Amino acid sequence: MSQLQVSNLQVDFGGLRAVDGLSFEVARGEILCLLGPNGAGKSTTLDLICGKTQPTGGSIRFEGTEISHLLEFRRARLGIGRKFQVPSVYKELTVAENMSVARSRQPGIWHALTRFALSDGHATVPILARVGLEAKADDLAGNLSHGETQWLEIAMLIAQDSRLILMDEPTAGMTIQETERTAEIFRALSASHTLIVVEHDMSFVRTVADRIVVMNRGAMLAEGTIEAIETNEDVKTAYLGH
Amino acid sequence: MTNKLYYDLAALVIFALVIVLGVPALMGFDGFELNTFARYLALAIVSLALALSWGSAGLLNLGQAATFGMGSYAMAMHLKLKASGTALPDFMGWNNVPELPTLWIPFHSLGFTLLAGLLVPAFVGGLIAIFMFRARIAGVFVAIITLAFLVAFQLVVIEQQGITGGQNGLTGLAPLSLMGWTVDTYGIGFYYLVAGCLMAAVTLGLYLTHSKFGLILRAIREDTDRTRFFGYNVANYQTLIFCISAALAGWAGMLYTLVLEFASPTYMSVSFSLAIVIWCAVGGRDSVIAAAIGAILVNLLEGRLSDVFVEGWHLMLGVIFVLVVMFMPRGLHGLIGDLWQVLRHGTNKGRKLSSAPTMSPQPVKSGQER
Repeated sequence: MSQLQVSNLQVDFGGLRAVDGLSFEVARGEILCLLGPNGAGKSTTLDLICGKTQPTGGSIRFEGTEISHLLEFRRARLGIGRKFQVPSVYKELTVAENMSVARSRQPGIWHALTRFALSDGHATVPILARVGLEAKADDLAGNLSHGETQWLEIAMLIAQDSRLILMDEPTAGMTIQETERTAEIFRALSASHTLIVVEHDMSFVRTVADRIVVMNRGAMLAEGTIEAIETNEDVKTAYLGH
Repeated sequence: MTNKLYYDLAALVIFALVIVLGVPALMGFDGFELNTFARYLALAIVSLALALSWGSAGLLNLGQAATFGMGSYAMAMHLKLKASGTALPDFMGWNNVPELPTLWIPFHSLGFTLLAGLLVPAFVGGLIAIFMFRARIAGVFVAIITLAFLVAFQLVVIEQQGITGGQNGLTGLAPLSLMGWTVDTYGIGFYYLVAGCLMAAVTLGLYLTHSKFGLILRAIREDTDRTRFFGYNVANYQTLIFCISAALAGWAGMLYTLVLEFASPTYMSVSFSLAIVIWCAVGGRDSVIAAAIGAILVNLLEGRLSDVFVEGWHLMLGVIFVLVVMFMPRGLHGLIGDLWQVLRHGTNKGRKLSSAPTMSPQPVKSGQER
């Protein structure tokens, strides 16, 4: 059974239908890439799944539970994590503190009251090492470079350990080497996590994607493997406009 | 982080030594001076209570004086009953109140009074907090709502003259008896009682800020939505820190009534509430110790200035506050932190890096300070 089922999803922004009757499924352990021209509704789709935006119609089922009207923190607790397009880390906290916030297996108040701020270090330090930020653990996140900030947010999502991770343009602003390393990390993650990735970098998509969904004007245009998508006439028309 | 913990523990030890040994020695164990200083220490507790909600969680509570007043009236009611013996408190007779109002009856018990002084503010604070934070009210609107509550609450207290003593407050109080010890507010014992309460409050505040709870609060302050996507129920965290802050304010209020030997509706005035914000801002709202020191310093200064410049000291205080907001937005604590960075790195590079992100993402808050 698929882990996430999106069916006939709709959302209106004051008359503009940003997502219009979108349906797709994602299987456990799959890496699904969402492609599409600007304004196709890719980020909005991620917003709808993680709860940042409320849908005006349709349903989202995660592991059999209808989640489309749950508050965002409840969806996070069910196992959905989100990386934003603009890297959103806590700039006034240190890297280690950012990781500790992200390590939210027990998000309750009592747990938080009976632990020191960095009590999860044993779990988060290896993750920082994996993205090469262990030497910067005590730096303020606001002092990191753009690429490092991207890494930090990815590390935070690994620490959060959600079963479904939504990544919005994770390689934006990264060098080719950094992008390759991100692809490696994603492949390793997919052993135990499901990923939905919005990405424009086609070589990156080629490396990581198990399956691709192409969106246009809020609806699905095409679906399939990278080879099938690259030869699809509708996709060419949508991108090139003729 | 562990460095930060050592730094705060060292600050706590130094602060405790100064308050417990230094101040009484400097004052020459003079009863009047110690009583005056005990007043500052009580106010330090309410200032650090504000640092917990404003500094940690970014919730500027302008109604702090209301919860302070609740504690102060709880204590005053107990002492007034004690002073009146079996008779009705005098002001009730003047207001044609025939018998003791039900509200007053449980305040015969000291245990109830102490609990009420902590729990009533916490409960009221919690109610307001649930209403605000479930609805995701944030930023300047928190300040507006709490300020409106303060004004309404003070009006009710003044209106209900038969129960509260109205504009006059509660005067003619008996001294407190604590387990057979009759508290002499001009004695060293009373000074240490207040100092002990302050130390307990500072320790609690330090524990909270160094716990994961405190870390999540700082995360909420910086990016509330992001924190929700990590699975934290933000409203619960905000409500709890609001309750703790209100309870500490009530505690400070109880001590304040003991020091001054009366309770007055002026404790619930807007100007008093704003004064708390000033103390907290001058000391530095990021640290509970700094906020406590801020309260002590400003009140000390106010005490000295108002002796010399009877008319002009309010103006001077205002100028000091404007200067603090303009030139050291993180208070004395921020200034010391920056100096430390300069000394350690030999340049002001570290300073620029550490203070720049603190100021820029909070335009709303720096607006609130004014």
